[in-house]
Amino acid sequence: MRRPLIGLTSYAQHVLFGRNEMMAGMLPMTYVKAVHATGGRAVLITPDDPGTDVLESLDGIVFTGGGDVDPANYGAEPHPETEVDPVRDAAEIMLMRAALEMDLPVLGVCRGHQVMAVATGGSLHQHLPDLINHDRHRAHAGTDPLAAGADDYGRHGVVTAEGSRARQLFGRQTTVNSFHHQAVADPGECVATGWCPDDRVVEILEHPGRTFALGVQWHPERTADLRVFAALNQAALVGREAATV
Amino acid sequence: MRPIIGITTYVMPASWGVWRDLPTALVPQDYAAAVTLAGGRAVLLPPDDLDTDVLRVLDGLLFSGGPDISPELYGEQPGPHTVTHPERDAAELALLQAALDRDLPVLGVCRGMQLLVAAHGGTLHQHLPEVLGHERHRVAPAVYSEHEAVFTPGSRIAGLMGEDVTINCFHHQGVADPGKLTVTGRAEDGLPEAVEDPDRRFLLGVQWHPEVSRDLRLFGALVAAAARS
Repeated sequence: MRRPLIGLTSYAQHVLFGRNEMMAGMLPMTYVKAVHATGGRAVLITPDDPGTDVLESLDGIVFTGGGDVDPANYGAEPHPETEVDPVRDAAEIMLMRAALEMDLPVLGVCRGHQVMAVATGGSLHQHLPDLINHDRHRAHAGTDPLAAGADDYGRHGVVTAEGSRARQLFGRQTTVNSFHHQAVADPGECVATGWCPDDRVVEILEHPGRTFALGVQWHPERTADLRVFAALNQAALVGREAATV
Repeated sequence: MRPIIGITTYVMPASWGVWRDLPTALVPQDYAAAVTLAGGRAVLLPPDDLDTDVLRVLDGLLFSGGPDISPELYGEQPGPHTVTHPERDAAELALLQAALDRDLPVLGVCRGMQLLVAAHGGTLHQHLPEVLGHERHRVAPAVYSEHEAVFTPGSRIAGLMGEDVTINCFHHQGVADPGKLTVTGRAEDGLPEAVEDPDRRFLLGVQWHPEVSRDLRLFGALVAAAARS
């Protein structure tokens, strides 16, 4: 059976590898492996391009993690802790709106989950510690809380709303990893369907008018729990078969 | 809709921001920028050797630079200076073979050109200084060396390059035998710098790095050929 083709938004980032240092189009392989392990074929969508025509070739799209969304996109002044990449914002907000418009299956991860809110008229909390008085949604700078063997710092529960797709996927409750300092304030056209029970931080978004548009604030690609990727591939496969009938 | 050009990528442990040595699919942004400027839509292809189904949405393919290809691909054992990435070889060879079957427009850059040669039965020199007696094709880390190439009159590459035949090189391996491809460009020392298959719609390999200058002559030709597919 032909695999659904899943676009993953990628970064243009200054990186070091081996003895090399360069501006690269790039994405951690964890996202690629998550798509491939659940039956899809991943291609990376470069961020520097203003058009959305590439969506016509895809069966689904993942908006990946990364830096903060420029608060100008939701009418706020930047917080001192906010770090933005306006080129990536412009490309992803445009792609998100176009993908939702054509009802392409969408998965938002961390930053991508936040883009779902902002692109549909919502807004973000720019620095969670200001709001909830702790920084347990993000580990210490310079550490990798998502690495295998990392301790429970940043790990927390998520409860889901009854009747939501999140409830279908995760049941009433699940445990997730966490590495973010911003969070959804106003979900825009989306609806919050999952929260951290300790502090009510929004952890899952869904777009109610779409076949499959789901955002998660955590990083499932860094875990063995790839249910959201499997669900995306399934929706992508169904959507493509419907389109070719 | 713009033609979609697939660009092959590396997988390397990379570091940025708070992240250290994360396995990452990456390719110099120059390639995507060059495709975009030429009017194409770039997508990056992480290595994947399960199937070549992705070709159904691609209008053209760009095999990017990178580490050495496995000498086993042309029947030799690796020399002491050869650094390979076999997973990438397998994925790229499968893509290339399927692209050739469909006569999809293909541009190979540096390592990409060498892959084209190996796939057409050719062979490589594994370390040029041992063959040429000089290091003028890779003078220092991260430094491109300029050469004046000589192109075969009437060839595709001669037509594309026109009067300005300056090329920028950074490689330590080179083409020994082009196999079924035709050498259509050489450096001053005689080393092959361009190969093509004149019987195909667009199959071109260059040993230098046209993406660094976003060379519209080459990327424009790839995108134009892809637009007709």
